Amino acid sequence: MAALVEMDQIVKIYPNGVVANDGVTFSVERGEIHALVGENGAGKTTLMKILYGEERPTAGVIRVNGKPVHFHSPHDAIRAGIGMVHQNFMQVPSLTVAENVVLGKEPTRQGLLDRKAAIRITEELSRQYGLKVDPEATIDSVNVGMRQRVEILKILYRGAEILILDEPTAVLTPQETTELFKSIRALVKQGKTVIFITHKLREVKEISDRVTVMRGGRVMGTLPTSEATREGLARMMVGRDVFLEVSKPPRERGPKVLEVRDLTYVSETGRYVLRGLSFNVYAGEILGVAGVEGNGQTELVEVLTGLRPATGGEAKVMGVPILNRPPRAVRLAGVAHIPEDRLTNGLALEATINENLIVDRYFRPPFRRGMFIVNQVVRHHGQKLIETFDIRTPSGDVTVASLSGGNMQKVILAREFSSQPQLLIAAQPTRGVDVGATEFIRQQLVEQRNRGTAVLLVSADLAEVMSLSDRLVVMYEGQITGVFPDASKATEEDIGYYMLGIKRQSPEEMEAYL
Amino acid sequence: MNLLRKSAVREFLRIVIAVSAALILGFVITLLVSKQPLEAYRAFLLGPLSRFNRFGDWIEESITLTLVGLAVALVFKSKQFSLGAEGQILLGALVSGSIALFVPLPGYLRVPLGLLAAMGVGFLWGYLPGYLKAHLNANEIVSTLMLNTIALKIYDYFLIFHIKPPNAGYNASETFTKDGILPSFVPALPFLADIRARFMSQTNISIMLYLAIIAFLVAYYLMYRTPFGYELRMIGANIKFAHYGGINVKRTIILAFAVSGIFAGLAGAHLAMGIHTKLIQNISLGIGFEGIVVALMARNNPLFVPLSALAYGYLRAGADIMERSSDVSREMVLVIQALIILLVTAERVLPVIQQRVAARRNPQPAPSLAEGGE
Amino acid sequence: MWELVLRGIFSALFVASVLRISTPLILPALGGLISELSGATNIALEGIMLVAAFTGVVISAYTQSVWLGVIAGMLSGVLVAGILAYFHLYLKADLILAGIALNIMATGGTIFLLYVLTGDKGSSSTLASKAVPVVNIPIIKDIPVLGTILSGHNIFTYLAFILTWLVSVFLYRTPQGVHLRAVGENPEAAASLGIDVRRVRLGALLLSGVLASLGGLNLSMAYLTLFQREMTAGRGFIALAAVFLGGRTPWGTLIAAVLFGFFDALSNQLGSLAIPSQWVQMIPYVATVLALVVYSLRQRAQAIERTRRFQEKHLAETHATGD
Repeated sequence: MAALVEMDQIVKIYPNGVVANDGVTFSVERGEIHALVGENGAGKTTLMKILYGEERPTAGVIRVNGKPVHFHSPHDAIRAGIGMVHQNFMQVPSLTVAENVVLGKEPTRQGLLDRKAAIRITEELSRQYGLKVDPEATIDSVNVGMRQRVEILKILYRGAEILILDEPTAVLTPQETTELFKSIRALVKQGKTVIFITHKLREVKEISDRVTVMRGGRVMGTLPTSEATREGLARMMVGRDVFLEVSKPPRERGPKVLEVRDLTYVSETGRYVLRGLSFNVYAGEILGVAGVEGNGQTELVEVLTGLRPATGGEAKVMGVPILNRPPRAVRLAGVAHIPEDRLTNGLALEATINENLIVDRYFRPPFRRGMFIVNQVVRHHGQKLIETFDIRTPSGDVTVASLSGGNMQKVILAREFSSQPQLLIAAQPTRGVDVGATEFIRQQLVEQRNRGTAVLLVSADLAEVMSLSDRLVVMYEGQITGVFPDASKATEEDIGYYMLGIKRQSPEEMEAYL
Repeated sequence: MNLLRKSAVREFLRIVIAVSAALILGFVITLLVSKQPLEAYRAFLLGPLSRFNRFGDWIEESITLTLVGLAVALVFKSKQFSLGAEGQILLGALVSGSIALFVPLPGYLRVPLGLLAAMGVGFLWGYLPGYLKAHLNANEIVSTLMLNTIALKIYDYFLIFHIKPPNAGYNASETFTKDGILPSFVPALPFLADIRARFMSQTNISIMLYLAIIAFLVAYYLMYRTPFGYELRMIGANIKFAHYGGINVKRTIILAFAVSGIFAGLAGAHLAMGIHTKLIQNISLGIGFEGIVVALMARNNPLFVPLSALAYGYLRAGADIMERSSDVSREMVLVIQALIILLVTAERVLPVIQQRVAARRNPQPAPSLAEGGE
Repeated sequence: MWELVLRGIFSALFVASVLRISTPLILPALGGLISELSGATNIALEGIMLVAAFTGVVISAYTQSVWLGVIAGMLSGVLVAGILAYFHLYLKADLILAGIALNIMATGGTIFLLYVLTGDKGSSSTLASKAVPVVNIPIIKDIPVLGTILSGHNIFTYLAFILTWLVSVFLYRTPQGVHLRAVGENPEAAASLGIDVRRVRLGALLLSGVLASLGGLNLSMAYLTLFQREMTAGRGFIALAAVFLGGRTPWGTLIAAVLFGFFDALSNQLGSLAIPSQWVQMIPYVATVLALVVYSLRQRAQAIERTRRFQEKHLAETHATGD
């Protein structure tokens, strides 16, 4: 008997040459909960977007119920009974839950929206699948858990038989996660099929029937969950990448530069994102923060750089408090920041390269003299950095928008590296960067360290953190669960256990090394 | 440098094409409605240079338009859509006019005081919506439109109930005395006496000409050479980047509104103390909105605002003359003006033409990432 | 003196005049509301009104038919709205600047054509244009106070109230209305459900054109049966303000528009006394600015409150589980 969904030898190559899926074969049986796990960038979401018609495969065949299908848009996929719940909800805040469920396909009576029918439909679906919602509440008044249930009801209303849930627990509190799992079981009991994308192995064990592990755009294996161990899965996920060759002279660590004590952050939607973090970064060392994405790293960086308010705790750079201070104050305290979301935060695309290079220093001499910004200095400064960082451009007076992606990255690096910071915070510095530029960026990070800068490196690329860091901490669910005083002595496998929450050190064990 | 020039040339071409297209359409309209379309259009296009007083009208108008255009360009550059110039102009006129009428100081003190007061009130009337936008995220389009009307009511109230002489038949103040009027731009020097007399008898071109030139330089340097201008431009380019880079976004937005108000206030003082030399009802007549056209044609770059104001002032002066000397009414220029705005703002109209031309000249494909930057 | 004012305000005639003055605000405000809710601020209401007022007068004068005039007026207004929509949605022109352009064009174009047609730039008094009928409601018209208030208005006044109800039904009770609001609030979500965002906004702008046209026609084909240059006198902008003051709901917008009408009528009353009408006329504008402030303060307070609630809940849970 054929599987419900078969994806055969799927290849996806993006126009920029990135191979997201490299001959993936994946199948789902009717009525199962199939977990799809892998690190970020392993190609899970791309594979599912192909199944949902949002992306077209470069090569390969998709069969539903044994018949080959070609989806041109999500509408085709929905018609074939496939629905996907994205991480960011597609909802209209001022409409009610029921109105959101039926939006675009409303029941009508004499041309008017039949609200009672909408509410009835919502209630029936809600009861049938155990997805508790309040049909008459407006979306902006309900919590994230309910919003997610609304999203699931939406695709059920459109007749989905196969539900793809993209990291559904990432935004949920533990209580809400428990609720969600109950609902998923109810769905399956009534004949639905669920594909569950995650990178939390605990959840895989808890909810799924089978699990497929992806790494680097390939499937590493599919096995019944009952036969899988967390350790085994972790090994499959993390694998053994070739270690990067980074020559890093040994260096005595200097004085304490960044001191973080009991840092907490609760998001606006009430998620406890940072749960009492304490650590130090010393001059002349790279402290790597490893962890699967979504465990609070993004928020940690934004809180430390003044882009997000902290809920509690303290952080000091050379004794100067930096929490809940504007970004200017944080920068003046000696912090440089390579942001994760570079094109939205790190650059002004319509401004020139020279202008982009001075955003943190235009107000100081020599750039400012009296009331004026000295253009000559700005241009000279730009020219120097363009040369040092090998930014390929005819001049510093062209807009950043006219540069290639790799060169845009270099503009940010040039600015942040050249600010002579006490503390350099680098968030996913090599993401989306080609091999040559990656090498360059890594060298620069090491160079900063050699010069005595304290570097806080946050990266989801385990090989990168391990090879660059002097010390390494692992973040899991907003906490530091492990410290490795000598990153070069740790094994990927071991770190992987901490990243996936299988192992954790006790506070006493860690204290000495933080 | 090469690329920069190319894009600047493109921008310029784009404006020229838009203006030419609008003028051609204007001519077509003239053809349809006029019995002597050629004469009418000649009056329109050449009129402002035909007589001395007409030349004067053109320059006076252009001075006001320059100041308003600078005001609009400054605030638009930060991507804040303040439409509040109109209200700032009105209050600037009211305050400077009141000082011209009632403050018993000699001219060399009274005139500067009037100008400063107008700038001050413009600053305040800009600060208000700026604060509302920066701290309360209040829609600046609505708030500035409301503040315009409020300013108009304030203006009318003071004019009618306090400034107008009780026995006057219509709502206007007395003409200012010499101490309250901006002096002629020709200095009172013996060897210039003839020229000065000639200008003073036929035009109201005042020292505001010099002030407008200074204002233009100040605006240009402010925007492109000072930290404040840098902050303002970065906020306009990418507000998230500005915040990330450490710029105090709220403060800068407020200041952008307020500093813009200074220029508009000065324009108001020019209307009162330079052109009309008294306070009248409807003194501004929508010139705040015309400043938007001027700024738009200059692409919000102060460097091009005077040019744009002269071009636009020329159109208006030409339209006046056309009306007087033919059967076509001056409002045709409003239609032309509207067409210019539509053609300049419609990104899809002109780039298509330009890209085709550019593609033919330069077969190299443009870097694809440039598109992502829009 | 105050007694006189109060008696003036509480007279049936005054209430009737408020309704009369409010009508050309309510209609365009409803139009502004529809386009605003679809995510497109229609700043060209003023121009649309002006063009419709002009076209209605001219066509009714030349055809000697009221209804042809009304229809032509509406079509012309829709045309202006269509141009705005085309430039914004298809040629990517900035909506605000294109709206300003159309207002300028409407001001200039109507005066220009008025001059071409009549040789006069002030008004169309030489054209024998028509007026829409006045409705005298049987029975009610004979009731003393109520009759004065409710009866004897022109059809636009009744239409304004009926349309408020219809717009409210449209926005909240029809699928199209719900789609429109969805597009305004979260275009991405709407698009993901197969709703064509551009088409919905086009429809909303055209509808706002129809409604603003009615407001314009009310100025030139009802109490006055002539066109005067710039006769809309900023009503399109007031209408837009009414949308915001009214909290972006149909009935709120209606109330806000009537409020503007009330203060306008009041200032006329006070004009006879020595109370400066300007201060009274200013009130609704100040109120609109204050409404903007109150609205955003409330939004912020709610957000803070929500966060605090969530955070407290979390801390409580954390303590409970001993985490």
